[in-house]
Amino acid sequence: MIGTIRTWWQNPRRRREALTVTSGLLIILALVAGYLLRQQPWRDALMALAALIAGADIALRAWNSLRHRHVSIELLVTIAAAGALVIGEYWEAAAVTFLFLFGAYLEARTLRRTRQVLQDLLEMAPDTAVVIRDGEQVEVMAFEVHQGETVLVKPGSKVPVDGRVIGGRSVVDESAITGEPLPEEKEAGASVYAGTINQAGLLKVEATGVGADTTLARIIRRVEEAQEAQAPTQRFIERFARWYTPFIILLSIGAYLLTRDIALALTLLVIGCPGALVISTPISIVAGIGRAAQRGILIKGGEYLEKAGKITALALDKTGTLTAGRPRVREVVALQPEPAVVAGSPPPAASGSWSGAEAEVLAWAAVAEAGSEHPLAGAILEDAAYAHLPEAHTFDTFTGRGVRAETPEHTIAVGTAAWLADELDVFVPARAYRHLERMKEEGQTAVIVARDGVALGIVGIADQVRASARQMIAGLRETGLEEIVMLTGDDRRTALAIAAEVGLRPEEVRAEQLPEQKLDAIRALQAKGHVVAMVGDGINDAPALAAADIGIAMGAAGTDIAIETADIALMADDLLKLPEAIRLSGLTLRNIRQNVAIALATVAFLLGGVLLGEVHMAGGMLVHEASVMVVILNGMRLLRV
Amino acid sequence: MKTLLRSEELSCPSCVAKIESALNGVPGVQKAKVHFNTGRIEVEHDQVDQDELLQAVRNAGYEVRVSAF
Repeated sequence: MIGTIRTWWQNPRRRREALTVTSGLLIILALVAGYLLRQQPWRDALMALAALIAGADIALRAWNSLRHRHVSIELLVTIAAAGALVIGEYWEAAAVTFLFLFGAYLEARTLRRTRQVLQDLLEMAPDTAVVIRDGEQVEVMAFEVHQGETVLVKPGSKVPVDGRVIGGRSVVDESAITGEPLPEEKEAGASVYAGTINQAGLLKVEATGVGADTTLARIIRRVEEAQEAQAPTQRFIERFARWYTPFIILLSIGAYLLTRDIALALTLLVIGCPGALVISTPISIVAGIGRAAQRGILIKGGEYLEKAGKITALALDKTGTLTAGRPRVREVVALQPEPAVVAGSPPPAASGSWSGAEAEVLAWAAVAEAGSEHPLAGAILEDAAYAHLPEAHTFDTFTGRGVRAETPEHTIAVGTAAWLADELDVFVPARAYRHLERMKEEGQTAVIVARDGVALGIVGIADQVRASARQMIAGLRETGLEEIVMLTGDDRRTALAIAAEVGLRPEEVRAEQLPEQKLDAIRALQAKGHVVAMVGDGINDAPALAAADIGIAMGAAGTDIAIETADIALMADDLLKLPEAIRLSGLTLRNIRQNVAIALATVAFLLGGVLLGEVHMAGGMLVHEASVMVVILNGMRLLRV
Repeated sequence: MKTLLRSEELSCPSCVAKIESALNGVPGVQKAKVHFNTGRIEVEHDQVDQDELLQAVRNAGYEVRVSAF
């Protein structure tokens, strides 16, 4: 029994809670004694007792920091309360100590909820894993799995390690990592991450990362470091606060010497605690970065969050952000009216969205391109159904012009109109040239497919604009960016076509850019006075990403370099996270400014009130603690945006 | 050696210096770093009993626990 009380007493938090409650009850008793029973001596005695009980813990903390040569807020409160007891202001002493303890309790409780966001991430990591050792299933601690071991992930359970699927298929909820609500389909070869949830089938996973070496652990570490890295505002305020507390002590002594009013001097001590000010920035940053992490947006630190909130211009690398970076067949034009079906072979089944004649053009193109390594060939082969056609036995590649292949019966050529017409004597009709012109205008790379000197049709290939690109640009415009610029190495016509498709204006396009010219484009924006963010895939944009004020990497899950180096990393390959990141940064910056304003206004109000004699100790403490709570609650709003 | 502690009681950045010096006062502790924003406390030390570290923080007036990561 005594042992229980002792351990209980030794827990500072429980002890403080007990002291707060006791002191609060004593104050109520004192008020009853004073106002209802009219027992003034009882009232004073109970108030003094309340002050002593609540004050004991404050004095203890004050003494502990004094021993380490640190003038703490607790010291200010202790002096003030002791002084109030000496001059017989028992109510003031009780109210100040009680409010200080109660305020600190509420603040710690609320802050805990803010810090909880990260705790939730920590708890995403499962404790145990089922591995196959010597042909048997064994359950071990998740961090005891060896790299390369086979882990079984049962339906409904969490993936315990980072790894590669080697058997089974399922859908996995990856929201812990990417912030994406929709589950991903996984089959052999796919990557899975620790902390994600297997929703359907049994998965066999080869472990590639374990324990601290998982994407989840890296995210947690990164988020914590980010929350701890002090923003410039926070550094400034903490420097300010270091001088502010001693300054208040001097001010209080000065006020006493001038006015000989001890109550005034003590009140100055009470309201001098810089509580709301020192917490104004950290609370917003912890909440902002925590919220962003929940949504799959990793921000490197308060400094970057503050800077990202000031972005006025954004440069996008086209490939990999606006487009998928993978050429696809966009259009097929059949120049011959009827499908030229080869005698004896079955008619081609229309593949995808192509009509019979179009599929035929694609199929012949594929026969010729089957031996080519060119990226455009890959696009054609992916879309064509050509198994019914004879295989070619010779292939010739003419760089920059096209390919020619021979089957036992036919000669097939795929290439530019000029090459086919001038060198291979293919007849290219006038309407083909009109199509070629139009397709180029639309940003497609167009080739003519010819068989035995007859132009069968035209295949137009283009990089695929990503589905949400247009919505992303619209979202970016809504965030209030002054300038958006698309950078690309493509020729101007292709670039303009893509720009039109995603909703960018021609003057926002910078085409035919080499990597160092992308860098110049960033510098030019900065020279105009913009705070510039650059979005890219991080490899060929490296110089531009480094030169920008904020470098943003997309689809960073699984790529450590992006997580470590980008100022902002978007875990999911979801374009709409980009406007969200910018919006969240802006909101956080605004939140910081609101908090600093609230804190400064409170200090000014209290100082003025005290000097005018309108604010006394208990009231001052109440306003002070209330301002701290307002600042914390304001910061917590960020958790819900 | 390095021990990671977490406290959920930091309500004002002035706690930081207090807890750091309390931990640095424990014999065998080389360096203590308190992160106010997250409540994370990093302690680098020689052979020191974990309870001594916890007690030092508690004596400074803050509840604390050991954390794996």
